Amino acid sequence: MFKDLFQILIFPGLTFLVIFSLFAEYFDRKLYARLQNRVGPPWFQPFADILKLLAKEELIPCEANPRMFKLAPLFAFTAAITAFLYIPLWQIKTLFSFNGDVLVVLYLLTIPTLSFFIGGWYSTSLFARIGSVRSMTQLFAYEVPLFMGILSSALLANTWNLKEIALFYSAHPWFWLFNLPGFCIALIALLGKLEKVPFDIPEAETEIVAGSFTEYSGKLFAFLKLTLDIEMVVGAALLAAVFFPFGLQMNPFAGFVLFLLKIIFIVFLLSLLRTVMARLRIDQMIDFCWKYLVPLAFVQILLNLAVKGVILK
Amino acid sequence: MGVVTKAVNWARIKSPWILHFNTGACNACDIEIIATLTPRYDLERFGVQLKGTPRHADVLVCSGPVTRQIKDRLVRIYEQMPEPKFVVAVGTCACSGGVFQDCYNVMSGINAVIPVSLFIPGCPASPKAIIDGVVKLLQSLEESEAKK
Ligand code: SF4
Repeated sequence: MFKDLFQILIFPGLTFLVIFSLFAEYFDRKLYARLQNRVGPPWFQPFADILKLLAKEELIPCEANPRMFKLAPLFAFTAAITAFLYIPLWQIKTLFSFNGDVLVVLYLLTIPTLSFFIGGWYSTSLFARIGSVRSMTQLFAYEVPLFMGILSSALLANTWNLKEIALFYSAHPWFWLFNLPGFCIALIALLGKLEKVPFDIPEAETEIVAGSFTEYSGKLFAFLKLTLDIEMVVGAALLAAVFFPFGLQMNPFAGFVLFLLKIIFIVFLLSLLRTVMARLRIDQMIDFCWKYLVPLAFVQILLNLAVKGVILK
Repeated sequence: MGVVTKAVNWARIKSPWILHFNTGACNACDIEIIATLTPRYDLERFGVQLKGTPRHADVLVCSGPVTRQIKDRLVRIYEQMPEPKFVVAVGTCACSGGVFQDCYNVMSGINAVIPVSLFIPGCPASPKAIIDGVVKLLQSLEESEAKK
């Protein structure tokens, strides 16, 4: 009981995750700045931002529905943190494991997007509503390739349990190489989930102010910002667990360092992609996801089925 | 002063998010403000970020004299910002009305309508002057917090 609470609230749960995700945000912003030939923010910048937002006044528009408006950020925050508890971090075993947990993690990662939609919709501002509708439209485009990419790896391992996926790949060390196309697909789809450039259409600052977040201020906005950061770390951890499942049997310390390196590597790829690309239009984004990503994901699934039939038999 | 207040003040000084609003400028001051935010001067070093909505902003950066038509909008945007908030007037027009003073459609400087914390003169104010002004504002906040 006490151990469970410690794991959920302190390590590797809430406290560790918040600090690590703020660090990941710093890494992302600094890299973005360096790639643009700037100096970039100092290391404490994300912490200062969050602390300042927590201490600010929070305004609730009088036309908004106060209960939904306040609950949406909390739902998003909780769902993102809960998803982290099911992912194998530096060893094969996870904190809480059951059959089908990879699907649960994927659905838990969908809840923040739904909460953004609800929060934006109930704030009744025009910009927030347009942003919400766009984030829903985008959800239907990137969610399918993301699921297909991640589940293709699970298909090869013949299980929908993250722990057994890790077990399978440590029994067959080099099999993760087959999943590299799936990794690219999932990485691009993750950009859409995190609403980063080139898929930052829902919060396009130059068109619709700040999308669903337009009316949020103070603490509530701090929670939304934290949710996005945590989603980035959890998404990266999920990709690391599914696509780079090596080095999980080392001693805990080395494994932990390797785990951090894997996440930093994925965050690096995300920042790189967001630096070199510009924002797409919503129709271009949907075209791209359905015309190119989904067929590619099908090819990945066929490849994995072939591998399963030919090599594993 | 408790540790929490100290930490919060530190965070406020380290992370000023700005909102840029043209209250009737001839556009030269706006161009200079935009130039200040480009990678050349890199204001993100000081934690400054340009925000699109008054709800997220701490500092309202205004340029130009207040015209009669924009007055209500300016007050509305100011009221939409959450406390604590500051206003910076960039350019001679924003400080006093400048060359547009006494025009039939102009109400003089920003502080005729909303309280202003910092005036940055210049026609237009150069990016360096704007950065210097912002740093001075942050310093004065630090000093006034230290005195408390
Ligand atoms: S101060 Fe000069 S440059 Fe700025 S708005 Fe006034 S006239 Fe234009």
